[in-house]
Amino acid sequence: MSAPFYKYGLFNDEVSLIVAVFIGIGFGFFLERAGFGNGRKLAAQFYFSDMTVLKVMFTAIVTAMVGVYYLSVLGVLDLSLVYINPTYLAPQIAGGLILGIGFVVGGYCPGTACVSASTGRYDGWAYVGGLFGGILVFGEVFKLVEKFYVSTAMGKVTLPQLLHLPYGLMVFLVCVMALGAFAAAEWGEKKMAAKREGE
Amino acid sequence: MSSPHQADDFAPKPYWNPYLSGIGLGLVLLASFVIMGRGLGASGAFSSVVAYGMHQAAPQHTSTNAFYAEYLGDGTTHPLKDWLVFEVIGVFVGGFISGKLGNRIKGKIEKGPRISNRGRLLYAFLGGGLMAIGAKLARGCTSGQALTGGALLNFGSWAFMISVFIGGYAFAYFMRRQWL
Amino acid sequence: MKIAEALQKMSLNARLAALLLLFGFIAIFAGDPYGGDKTEIDARELALIVDKQVDHVAAAELADWIIQNRSDYRLIDLRTEKEYGEYHIPTSENITLAGLTDAGLQRNEKIVLYSEGGIHSAQAWFLLKARGYKAVYMLFGGLEEWKDKVLYPAVPENPTPEQRVAFAKIKEVSTYFGGTPQNGAAAVTAQPQTGATAVTAQPQTALPKLSLPAGGTGPKPQGKKKKEGC
Repeated sequence: MSAPFYKYGLFNDEVSLIVAVFIGIGFGFFLERAGFGNGRKLAAQFYFSDMTVLKVMFTAIVTAMVGVYYLSVLGVLDLSLVYINPTYLAPQIAGGLILGIGFVVGGYCPGTACVSASTGRYDGWAYVGGLFGGILVFGEVFKLVEKFYVSTAMGKVTLPQLLHLPYGLMVFLVCVMALGAFAAAEWGEKKMAAKREGE
Repeated sequence: MSSPHQADDFAPKPYWNPYLSGIGLGLVLLASFVIMGRGLGASGAFSSVVAYGMHQAAPQHTSTNAFYAEYLGDGTTHPLKDWLVFEVIGVFVGGFISGKLGNRIKGKIEKGPRISNRGRLLYAFLGGGLMAIGAKLARGCTSGQALTGGALLNFGSWAFMISVFIGGYAFAYFMRRQWL
Repeated sequence: MKIAEALQKMSLNARLAALLLLFGFIAIFAGDPYGGDKTEIDARELALIVDKQVDHVAAAELADWIIQNRSDYRLIDLRTEKEYGEYHIPTSENITLAGLTDAGLQRNEKIVLYSEGGIHSAQAWFLLKARGYKAVYMLFGGLEEWKDKVLYPAVPENPTPEQRVAFAKIKEVSTYFGGTPQNGAAAVTAQPQTGATAVTAQPQTALPKLSLPAGGTGPKPQGKKKKEGC
């Protein structure tokens, strides 16, 4: 096992910053390829007319999930060295709800807003401005929400650990769930398109 | 003297098959896991910038604030020498490259037909603010928590992801004027 | 034939879906990505390491690391809790052999093991190496050697100039750790002065009290913890 390369000291911090730029370039590239520089396309997800967000997100998740799984099982990647965010259940659920609302209000998420801004969209820039403002506000009121912020800490817990299922089985279940979601999304899009034709 | 072909060359090209884009994105994420042992992110970079800016403007204020302290570190490295900051710079560049290749660079405002430009910009700003708060509470945004944590089967990230969809769908009705 | 025809007719999306389903299905049987409790041993690689003697660290070197306050390694004391409580090398953590696999040691950390002599540390070394840990070292000679070379260093009766210089340096190291150099010039507690055979002749009443920070229960502070969140 010699991956993750950085954690095994293959290169130092300075080089990792250059790596970051390239990974970011790949990230932004595919976001734009999918059309996520366009807020209307992103928001359409929440009106069932364009399910691209769901398709891209879940495809990316299962691709990386399957890749990580097989590379670990083959001994190429040391999964225990890949960073996983600790779980803080209540703030994450609350944050998720707020983020969902912000998504449909602003039309972007932080990553896609960057892509939108760099392809010339003024609303993308406005969104980025809002991001800065929001962080500022959060920083100022942090004392008030601090207790909530650190509540319900569960440490690093994965779904296989939580559900007491073997990791591989969990991978399979997620794949099946994703395929089901894709099928539903395709069906939903067709239904909406037909409905709009009929109007 | 423009021929029909020339006009087509400059028209925006259609987007990719979403599944292919998703696979591409997933491979980038996988590369990040394998090379760096960490996933992607976006909101953290903005936090670092805000923390740095605040520190320059009002150092005493930031020194007593636990939130800024986390992003400023202990002074051994510059707060902007942060992996996420550089990654986000790459996101801007990558988005631009893809947009250029697809003839999709255009100065415009994406919005529905029933809202004014000003209204849309206002909502975009507001949405950004809301999202920033949500992302800070959840310790991540869709890139960091949903994509990265989702791929690693992180329980909190999945709970977060589901909440995002619930929040979005629940509130979509109130925003229909902006988009539809 | 039939399957090939069916595959031909499927759209790109359908093919991708089938591929995903296949990968997911195989995953059910492919095993634990964390490696489980099994180990894989590359006998030749391990033998080479032992031969080249790159598997251990000298007591004096470890003493230097501690004095320099380096935080790029973890020092593990493999003895019992009681023995650890009586004395342990500063900055060490107490983990017994049985608890090694659960102790949360990362495969990319530099780990130095010691026990009373060398047997347990050798066993632990082998165990960790077999589990894929990259940088594992034993303290050469264990705690015994630590006592001899660092806490109670001795110099032969008629030292050569090099030995005198070396001893002067090790005397400082020794006092840093609360030890007592043997056969020093002055300012040393009255211990019967003998020569190179000092090892057996010193009645050590008590090992030095620990005034230096102990390894503590957790890993050493790492300066700015690199943020890896989002």
